Amino acid sequence: MSDDPSGDGAEPVPDGGAVTEETAGGSGGSVLAGLRERDDFVVIAMAAALVVFPFLLVDILGAVGDVIGISIGGYAGLPSLVLIYGIIVIGFNLLLGYTGLLSFGHAAFFGSAAYSAALFSQVVPSPILMVVVGTIVATLLAWPIGFVSIRRSGVYFAVITLTFGQALYFYALGPGSWLTNGDNGFSGIEADGLFLGAVPLDIELLPVFDSYTVMYAFAAVVMLGAVWVGNRVINSPYGLIFEALGENEERVEFVGLNVFRYKLMAFIISAVFAGVGGAMFVIHEQYIHPTTGLYWIQSGDFVIMTVLGGTGSLVGPVFGALVFEYVANVISGVSLPVIGSIGSLWRFVLGAVFVFVVWVFPRGVYGAFSDLATMLNGGRGGDGDEPVAADGGERE
Amino acid sequence: MLLLQSEIASILLNGLQQGAIYALLGIGLTIILGTMEFLNLAHGALYLVGAYTGLIVFQETALSNGLLYSSGITTIGFEGGFLAALILVPIVGFGIGLLMERFVAEPFYDRPETDQLLVTFGLALIIEEIVKNVIGGNTFQSIAPSTIFGVNVSQPISLPLVGLFPSWRLFIIGIAFLVIGLTYLAIERTDFGLVVQAGTHDSEMVKILGIPINRSYSLVFALGAALAAFAGLIGASIQTVSPQIGTQQALVPAFLTIVVGGAGSVRGAIAGGLVLGVIISAMTQTYSQWAQIVLYLFVALMLVFRPEGLFGSAEVGE
Repeated sequence: MSDDPSGDGAEPVPDGGAVTEETAGGSGGSVLAGLRERDDFVVIAMAAALVVFPFLLVDILGAVGDVIGISIGGYAGLPSLVLIYGIIVIGFNLLLGYTGLLSFGHAAFFGSAAYSAALFSQVVPSPILMVVVGTIVATLLAWPIGFVSIRRSGVYFAVITLTFGQALYFYALGPGSWLTNGDNGFSGIEADGLFLGAVPLDIELLPVFDSYTVMYAFAAVVMLGAVWVGNRVINSPYGLIFEALGENEERVEFVGLNVFRYKLMAFIISAVFAGVGGAMFVIHEQYIHPTTGLYWIQSGDFVIMTVLGGTGSLVGPVFGALVFEYVANVISGVSLPVIGSIGSLWRFVLGAVFVFVVWVFPRGVYGAFSDLATMLNGGRGGDGDEPVAADGGERE
Repeated sequence: MLLLQSEIASILLNGLQQGAIYALLGIGLTIILGTMEFLNLAHGALYLVGAYTGLIVFQETALSNGLLYSSGITTIGFEGGFLAALILVPIVGFGIGLLMERFVAEPFYDRPETDQLLVTFGLALIIEEIVKNVIGGNTFQSIAPSTIFGVNVSQPISLPLVGLFPSWRLFIIGIAFLVIGLTYLAIERTDFGLVVQAGTHDSEMVKILGIPINRSYSLVFALGAALAAFAGLIGASIQTVSPQIGTQQALVPAFLTIVVGGAGSVRGAIAGGLVLGVIISAMTQTYSQWAQIVLYLFVALMLVFRPEGLFGSAEVGE
């Protein structure tokens, strides 16, 4: 896992990641195409993007904001938060975008991981162990929930995942208060530093740029791991079957594959990502409440991020997470000359953008851009089909 | 023994009242789902619109009649206001339903159901935010009037077995079941209802037979919306009103109702609503902390062991 992209640093294309799938079948660039075939490329490109990301989001946008007099720069903790949600939606997209299952209950995995990490931190405040524990709990929870939910499809699947999530939410709010502190929220979660407490998470790595904290580096490394795993999954035979399931479940069944098993696996994998994210979230925010952790609107937020970014590619949803958190945390504080303060309108703006994207770009923002790029390249002009199919075909 | 009987009677009565709201919501959702195979996650937003329209009508009429009116936090009930709302709210809901069908639902009839869920989910967010920003995010008291049709309904009434029961709630149960009954008759006994039923069963065949089903679609959608708005008004008269009620108190229960009752079945929505209402009221009276949890787990079990619901055919929405 290379953290040093000094060679590629000059090319700050933050969307390098999923080009792999998109233009692999394009016309020229054999060296580049060969590179893109490799799994490492996605991870390296992502690493490059992660190095410049806080600088762009916080410092550059902050500077631009100073010039135009509107504060559009992110705050120092925002890049980490974006990455945490990004990790979750990469996993969520494996379920929604590839396997075609819309879950409205992923807050259950996010929240249960967050709470168990929080509880565990009272005993051993090691961030890495908190993530491990949270992920294990989310996985163990996903198994039975998935086992039951996967039997239904379409809206029934959405509703059944929702009911499990809501049951957990009301448990955390009421009868489970002895564990979760109920409506008062679970506060005072303090993770120790990394490496047995030697490196506290809030240390700044660089002198001027205060968004490059140890916490960010931690989130970035986990993000790289998530991208790597996600990429391995979608390029594996398993991933191809996920995608086939999304396109035509019956055919997969006719081929003789155990549809149930693959769907369950996709569900559990996506819950693992949500669990990692949930535990990271609680380390980052040091506070968790049933509404932020387990309420179904949180599941809905994962859906919004994923669809905004684009379900057709691995890292597309990360852009959705970026847009969502940017609008929620930065745009909400912006005061415009004519319209005035955005304030609580942010969810309205987000909802409108979301409806627009669903309406006009069924493949999400990222999908629309890459379609456009393919068209401009004069390659196989936007045939709009699912991307990895072409990639996978070539691998055989 | 008598104590137990009275306990059960009051559980049933409270269940009837909550179940009536669920049934109204469920009927609307189920006829839209059944006829158009359209999944409307904005159904809760229609409940929200109904509640707030009721609130506004109620306050405005109270104001124009020179009655006490203190900044919307507490309202003093006025008979005329609620009657006006009873008529106006379903009309507003009907109108919004027509617009929604025409401009939101229609472009999505042929798109995957995930897209339908997504776009209506976004719409629900937008409506909730509009309400929050135009009217405000604060919580309003419920809007029950003190008299209706000249009868004082602010005092509890003594019923056999149950004991004291708020007479307003009794009125609510009565009027809700009147509307449910009329809707049921409209679906079961009229030509329009016949088209709707046929459309639920096989909309393509209806089209082939030359029946202008698109016109029925708009009507069905608008009817479902009017019912949801009416449920919102009823709900606003017994519970506090805030922008979150659309998703919290309406959307999710509406889906649970049709899951229990069976998608596409009006009878199922009524039965499902009542079953859920009774479960909620029974749990609230005994182990109130567990009420919601038991409700959700019941629905989950239902989905596992009887996915077609009480009256449904498992095909719709699958």
